[in-house]
Amino acid sequence: MELKLDELVQDSRVHRRIYLEPEIFELEMERIFESNWVFVGHESEVADPGDYKTVPIGTQPAIMTRDEGGEIHVLMNRCTHRGSTICQEQRGNTHTFRCWYHGWTFNNKGDLIGVPYANGYGGSFDKRNFSLIKAARVERYRGLVFASLNPEVESLADYLASAKYYIDLFMDLSPQGEVESRSGIHKYGYDGNWKFQMENGVDGYHPNFVHQSFFETQGKQLGRQAMQLFAGNSECESKDLGNGHAILDMAPRRAATTRPVPNLLRGATSRASSDAYIESLIRRHGNDRTAEILAASNVNLAIFPNLLVIGIQLRITIPVSAKRTDVHLLPTTLKGVPDEINVARLRAHESFYGPAGGGAPDDVEMFTRCTEGLRVKGAEWLELSRGLERERIGVDGLTVGHITDEVPQRAFYRRWKALMCGVAQSRQIKPLRVARTV
Amino acid sequence: MATLRRAEAEDMLYAEARLLDERRYGEWLEMLTEDSTYWMPCNGNGTDPNREISLIYDDFAKLSDRIDRLTSDVAHAQSPPSKTKRLISNVQVEPVDDGANVISAFILYELRRGKQRVFAGRYEHRIRFEDGRWKIAAKKTVLVDNDEVIDNLTFIV
Repeated sequence: MELKLDELVQDSRVHRRIYLEPEIFELEMERIFESNWVFVGHESEVADPGDYKTVPIGTQPAIMTRDEGGEIHVLMNRCTHRGSTICQEQRGNTHTFRCWYHGWTFNNKGDLIGVPYANGYGGSFDKRNFSLIKAARVERYRGLVFASLNPEVESLADYLASAKYYIDLFMDLSPQGEVESRSGIHKYGYDGNWKFQMENGVDGYHPNFVHQSFFETQGKQLGRQAMQLFAGNSECESKDLGNGHAILDMAPRRAATTRPVPNLLRGATSRASSDAYIESLIRRHGNDRTAEILAASNVNLAIFPNLLVIGIQLRITIPVSAKRTDVHLLPTTLKGVPDEINVARLRAHESFYGPAGGGAPDDVEMFTRCTEGLRVKGAEWLELSRGLERERIGVDGLTVGHITDEVPQRAFYRRWKALMCGVAQSRQIKPLRVARTV
Repeated sequence: MATLRRAEAEDMLYAEARLLDERRYGEWLEMLTEDSTYWMPCNGNGTDPNREISLIYDDFAKLSDRIDRLTSDVAHAQSPPSKTKRLISNVQVEPVDDGANVISAFILYELRRGKQRVFAGRYEHRIRFEDGRWKIAAKKTVLVDNDEVIDNLTFIV
């Protein structure tokens, strides 16, 4: 039986082929990663003029730069002469990029500024026609930098929809309203599809099984509190934030708090640092907003298609091929807090995340197990119906479910389907017939 | 004050390598002082773990928790466990006040789920004389590929 693309993703289930087939992966790059907003990094990664880092857009190599005027650009890492990459380092500082194949040189805005022995090209040659390809749009929200290769894409603010509220909470944990990502990058990868990572980052059903070993070694009280968040009788929620974004919201339901929420992923600090920190938050935000920030800051937030905001980290999911994915974790520190708070954030992050962490590798293990299991034919579908009968529309108009429900995954795939099958952009694109799985 | 000779340092490193390769983690912990740290930097050689993220920066208590977790039945990334074999070479001993810094190079083969991977790097052991024997007061492991994507590092390097 041959299914059309739009039949592979249904209201409460998705077909195994979307995780396995190179042809679908290529289409995802074109219709999702190259047509939509994608997260490329935090502005503090290129804090100073001349700073750059390399980052892919989908599978295409790109460079995020900051020019001398402070503007951030996303340039495609491809010499306009004969195709070589022009930047070989993961990060650094430079005002120019030279392609060492034939010496063409570009500034960090992407303009071609030097061509060796230029008279060989004749009088009609115009350097302005050979600028680097650039992301058509680069926009920022609270320090998060997004790029799009599609000039017609909606504004970033519209795109982020209801996710903005939660991004604000994450940033407002700093009394200066700013985080920094200058503490390095954890990098891990797995033999499996990129969507596994995006589904998992906002999956409140898995932690008590995948991360049982971590919770059990965190001390009785903290470990039990963490497991209670994800239990069948938890009061926490999962939420569809629009445009494929979603969240696990672990804000306490009953009472506002003026103390930091006990959180395994942020670490514990001395009373003195903690008090100084809370006072600085109250000075900036007042009591009510501070309580809101502290309460709702314990979130797992997914921004479609490639960003997760979890614990203290910004996580970039990097698709490599249908069955290979890289993941970069950018731990953040808070501006304007006692050093001890930020050190605790780093230590808490390390204990769970990264390739040697006590939690994330167990997630990754599940992705590789899924990739292996999905080779079985006859069981064609992955079931995403959990909570379908009890989800509801909240006061803010958003679909809300229990934290263990698959509301976030259904939100992800509604958006996926809209983009892949052309509903979100243009109804003229015909659903593609994909080849039968071999 | 006892001086750590190179032959003794090598014997220690070989003994440690064997305990880790055989997953005898409890016995390995006994080679460490109780104020020991285990540091595995990320993104390079590692300068200040309070300013930069590490792959591992454990004090003795966290290291003990790590080992409790890794040897539980539900540490999925080690189920089945990695098989490892490491070779240690290029050992250099630099005497310090209460012991020595021992620098060495290693190559480690790891096999899990039908795939064999190779890791290489530098060990820096801070060795201290305590309770009548040489113990590991700090260990730093600098992987050659610590700024690259690594799929699974849930065994003790």
